[in-house]
Amino acid sequence: MMSLPRLNTILATCLITTLVLWIVIPFAMALMWSMVDPGTSWSYPDILPPALSFERWRIMWETSSLKTAMFNSYSLAPVAGMIAIILGAPTAYAFGRLTFPGKGIAQILMLTPIVLPGFVTAVFFASILVSLGFHSRYFAILLGHVVLFMPYAVRILSVSFSQVNNEVVNAARDLGASPFGVFRAAYWPAIKPGLFAAYLIVFILSIEEFALAFVIGSPTFTTVPTILYSYLGYDFIRPNAAVVAIVLVVPNVLLLIVLERLMQSANPANVSGKG
Amino acid sequence: MPNGLRIILLLTPGLGLVMTLMIWVLYRAFAQSFGLYNFNGDDLLTLSHWQGMFQNRRYWNALEWSGYIAVVSATLAVAVAYPLVIWLRRPFKGSFLLSALIKAPYFVPGLVAAFLLINVISYHGFVNEFLIWIGVWDQPVRMQNDKNGYAIIGLQVWKQLPLAFLLLSGAVAAIPDNVLHAAQDLGAGTWDRFRKVVLPMTVTAMQASLILIFIGAAGDFTFQAVAGPTRENSLATLMVTYQGASYSDWNGAAVIGVTLMVLSLLGSIVFAALVQIVAKLMERV
Repeated sequence: MMSLPRLNTILATCLITTLVLWIVIPFAMALMWSMVDPGTSWSYPDILPPALSFERWRIMWETSSLKTAMFNSYSLAPVAGMIAIILGAPTAYAFGRLTFPGKGIAQILMLTPIVLPGFVTAVFFASILVSLGFHSRYFAILLGHVVLFMPYAVRILSVSFSQVNNEVVNAARDLGASPFGVFRAAYWPAIKPGLFAAYLIVFILSIEEFALAFVIGSPTFTTVPTILYSYLGYDFIRPNAAVVAIVLVVPNVLLLIVLERLMQSANPANVSGKG
Repeated sequence: MPNGLRIILLLTPGLGLVMTLMIWVLYRAFAQSFGLYNFNGDDLLTLSHWQGMFQNRRYWNALEWSGYIAVVSATLAVAVAYPLVIWLRRPFKGSFLLSALIKAPYFVPGLVAAFLLINVISYHGFVNEFLIWIGVWDQPVRMQNDKNGYAIIGLQVWKQLPLAFLLLSGAVAAIPDNVLHAAQDLGAGTWDRFRKVVLPMTVTAMQASLILIFIGAAGDFTFQAVAGPTRENSLATLMVTYQGASYSDWNGAAVIGVTLMVLSLLGSIVFAALVQIVAKLMERV
């Protein structure tokens, strides 16, 4: 009979191969579609595109609203990340370091935006905006993103706050440090990775967010996801959609790798120095 | 400063802001479904929007369709994740890479995932070309926007499997080794150890996975709009159609939105109860 480790290796190899194909083939096809030369079409029975060029990328950059959409997306995300952290940090501090009646319920309530269907939130937030006569799409989507993604920031930050070492806090106080001095010596080193991780997760989720941007933004305010949707909908233009899909996914994957590292260094064992 | 006041001040900018907006949004959806905030006429507390919807076939079709997609997707994703989690409980050569690959789709935005899939299964896509090349099919087969929604279910499972995987592996990792060893020493076989130790200790994680995937899939707009059958609507796509430019029926959209929330709630309760019952039964058998 085959030994268990050997069986594991064989099964794992098969599954890894399948998963690589599962991920690599779709992305390779998107990349090829984005590079199909506009002059020659790629159709059955050609397995590969007959001619490759960056022409489509140039056309998209120069003539479509991709540039505006990228500007909008990348001017929303950093601001949303900042505000979510600034507004969420006090709540995270309370969750991470204080005990109070109703804390469990408060922590569950904080998850409401994650549990409610995104399109329900988007449509009825839009309805409120109509009643209020609020017309700035940028600020409306910004507020929406801050509220929708603050739960993620609060969750990460409350873990960071709970990792602050009380002994260091007390030692700093005993040595006569000012409140700012205590913060710098005891809090900052423990919460720094969590702060960056919380900022990045809100940034990434904001770039990807579709429901609010679509319901509130369309048709005049475009973001990268809404422009991708427009190429997937009524006028389906596969090569254009391929360009936008890559523009949407590649920066976020890179940011996610950074996030993964930060989350590891936000690990309790590393921060408290007790591990 | 009194402690209570201090905590309220700390919670106000974060939790306070989130709750204010979410309660406002929820209230707005309920109020509009009963005729208030009518943008097309006078505000009038009425059941007519609900009655109108109840006589609308598209409404019932969308409800049935969203329910079907959500139940199948949640069940399938958890059914696939469970054995993987148990298999990968102990690290072995390649297991780290494997779990990274399983988790990867969680980080691909839904729209991109849908686009990638329709590229692969399209008329000139990889699957068609490959199956023709190896001689299984004579000519390309139309798979896009299939009427059974297999593409949407496939996308849901692809995208949500990592969530079930993460939640379940957390629970499985938390089972102390000595508990399993003790069960083994007392003569419990693999199956007994599963139903008497592993299953009861992962019930909560399983409920959480099923509920979160159910809610996500029930509220789906993107996959339905891009890869779903053109004749069907999900509740979310129907709601956006009603609210959108061609109808501007916000009150009708509100009825659909409230229905979607009720479906999410009921689905969560049913799944949670079912898992509990099955786990109890398995323990006794």
